[in-house]
Amino acid sequence: MNLIETLLAEIVRMAPAALFNIYFAFAAIPVGFLLAIVFALGKNARNPLLNRLSRIYIYFFRGSPFFIQLFAFYSLALAFNVSTWKPLGIDWLVLNPLFLGPAILMLNTTAYTAEIFYGALITVPRGEVEAARAYGMTRGQRFRSVTWPNLIRLAWPAYTNEVVFLFQTTALVYFTLPVIGDQRDLMNTAEVLFQKDYNVFLHFGVAAGYFLAISLAIFFLFGLIYRRLMRHMPQQATMRFSWQRLFGQAPQ
Amino acid sequence: MLVDWLPQGLKDILGPDVIFWLGYITNGKHLNWYASVQYTLAAMLLGGAVALVVGVLAAAARNNGPRPLRWLAAGYINIVRGVPDVLFFLFFPLAFEQGLEWLYSLQVCTADTLALNVGKWPPCPAANLSFNSVAYLVLAGVSLGIVYGAFIASVVAGALQSVPQGQLEAARAYGMSRIEVLRRVHIRQMWVYALPGIANVWMSIVKATALLSLLQIFDFVAWAQRLGASNFSKAAGLVHDDWRWRYYLVLLVFYVLVTFVSEKIFSAIGSRLRRGMPMAEQGLT
Amino acid sequence: MKTLVLAIAAIAALTAGAHAQSYKIATEGSYPPYNFTDDSGKLGGYDIDVGTEMCKRAGVECTFITNDWDSIIPNLLANNYDAIMDDMSITDERKQTIAFTDPYFPPDPSTYLTLSTTKVDYANIKGMKLGAQKATIQAGYLDQNFKADNTILTYDTQDQEMADLNAGNLDIIFLDGSVVAEAVAASGGKLKADGPEILIGDGVGVGMRQSDADLTKKFDTALAAMKADGALDALIAKYFPEKAGGPFYKK
Repeated sequence: MNLIETLLAEIVRMAPAALFNIYFAFAAIPVGFLLAIVFALGKNARNPLLNRLSRIYIYFFRGSPFFIQLFAFYSLALAFNVSTWKPLGIDWLVLNPLFLGPAILMLNTTAYTAEIFYGALITVPRGEVEAARAYGMTRGQRFRSVTWPNLIRLAWPAYTNEVVFLFQTTALVYFTLPVIGDQRDLMNTAEVLFQKDYNVFLHFGVAAGYFLAISLAIFFLFGLIYRRLMRHMPQQATMRFSWQRLFGQAPQ
Repeated sequence: MLVDWLPQGLKDILGPDVIFWLGYITNGKHLNWYASVQYTLAAMLLGGAVALVVGVLAAAARNNGPRPLRWLAAGYINIVRGVPDVLFFLFFPLAFEQGLEWLYSLQVCTADTLALNVGKWPPCPAANLSFNSVAYLVLAGVSLGIVYGAFIASVVAGALQSVPQGQLEAARAYGMSRIEVLRRVHIRQMWVYALPGIANVWMSIVKATALLSLLQIFDFVAWAQRLGASNFSKAAGLVHDDWRWRYYLVLLVFYVLVTFVSEKIFSAIGSRLRRGMPMAEQGLT
Repeated sequence: MKTLVLAIAAIAALTAGAHAQSYKIATEGSYPPYNFTDDSGKLGGYDIDVGTEMCKRAGVECTFITNDWDSIIPNLLANNYDAIMDDMSITDERKQTIAFTDPYFPPDPSTYLTLSTTKVDYANIKGMKLGAQKATIQAGYLDQNFKADNTILTYDTQDQEMADLNAGNLDIIFLDGSVVAEAVAASGGKLKADGPEILIGDGVGVGMRQSDADLTKKFDTALAAMKADGALDALIAKYFPEKAGGPFYKK
């Protein structure tokens, strides 16, 4: 049927573009995850300087739109091109959207993830931590054996949500950073195709379908990890598609 | 221009440089920029209102409605959560306008005008609807509301489940009908549980208004981009290099300020809702 | 159903505005010297002045509105406005979806803009970073000719590519010659344009819907009158002082 053929052709045409979105999201996750732990611990720290700095960072990056953050950091990076990046010889890297996009995404996701981890951190069962202390564990041992496992288990549902939102925010990257050659992501490809035949439903519909499919895939994957994290708990825990179980974290 | 109203003594103290820059940040283009805050705020408030209405309706349909309505609500909530809001923003106004024009053309177009316009849009010239910028702003607010209504629906559904059953049973025992229980007890008590979630969704709506410029609405962000752009043409005004990062910093501060004020307001609403309640404080994340 | 149609009719009536002889012309508003928003917040530039005069001579009322370059053609086709005056070149590809009036600017070859310190062998451009605005004739030309050995970056607006050039992120940008001439003159020696001139497209015209043939003819007549009595030449001299070889239209 003509409609199915058109749809299939469209899906095939947009497949390489989806890789860009996936790349942006998954390039931002590792460093974001690690930095988030640092900031979450910082926000919980007793040292007033660490505490204040962490809170300011989290507040700033959660309180401002990612769209504006992209513009702002690109302009800032550009302003330093002649004075800093070029002499160091790294201007080809810093200003490349494939680096800068994940970098700014990383800054953003660090703040949201840090907030999630902080929420989980303060909910870690007090008794377990005190027992670990009573046993004479050092701070590092305490963190590794007690705090961290509890934290990641408590935070995982909300973190899954955050990763899905991160993936969806990657749609904004090529709205602000220049497009190099033919490197286009889903939204960009949809727009270029739309300019040719002005068919809103087909192009944006298929792009939406891709986002939905990959979001569901992320939910499924992270659900598997959650099952493994909870494997020692009394009842078989599954992560459901529901809001009330999560930490009240909303989209950015 | 506004600088002209300063007394001469003050002007002498400040010096020509400061006066020049004061004059620059109060020129017509900048004043347009400051005034455009109203569009951003209007979209925020409209989006929030629509989201609240849509969310409560969808939550009610999801839990209590007839079967097909329940599926529709569930489908709406899940699909909207899986698709980026920017895509809805670009898609919805166009699709809505086309949809309205199609409905209109069904009534207004005669057979011969339709035949003349085969393959073109709109199906006949009389069915053309031209939206002005106010209409687009309303449309943008509605798009925001539809997207974030799905999130509010999830929050409200959870909150409805959190209301202590005992209260609902007591209300039934007193002889209130189901609708009365819903209205007088269930929904009223739901708000205090829903508030942290709604506050979070509001923050997202605030930040989503940054995307209004993609819909050709000349809001705070769009003007900032034009002001910051480097200019080489004297006819176009002050010749300057790329100043964008300065203006974007102002935008970031603006949004953080709106977030700050919103947090304070929600905190106040929360305390008021919780008066007389013996439950533990639910902190806003 | 009836009430729905009445509601839509009401919306149409409210939003339509004065239909008779009043038209909206779209421009980008950030493409000096053709169109820009000046420091008092008003739209100005060659396109605006030509458009205002053209409408006056055609006996119709026109207002200018701004629209980003990306969606300027789709929104014309969606009837959000009636004409496009944004240094839009007449090309065969565009003529498939929209119509154009006669050109209102003399043939304007595109050329390369670089920093004064950049040395470019224009016969053999390799390994350079070239920039152009998205969906322009210049972007198409770069894509066809230089993609293999160079990096091509496309931007949303003219000022973004200028900013990248000035900050050293680009080696060359490819723009309309008239804009390049003004930019070089205003840069005080920082920019230079010593590359070849390449004529792409068939001149700059007012973009119209194909179904608006009558209005297009009206505008054509008005433009012809402006060309004949030197009004167009005066505007060219006003906004493009660097453009040598005038007057272009007055016999």
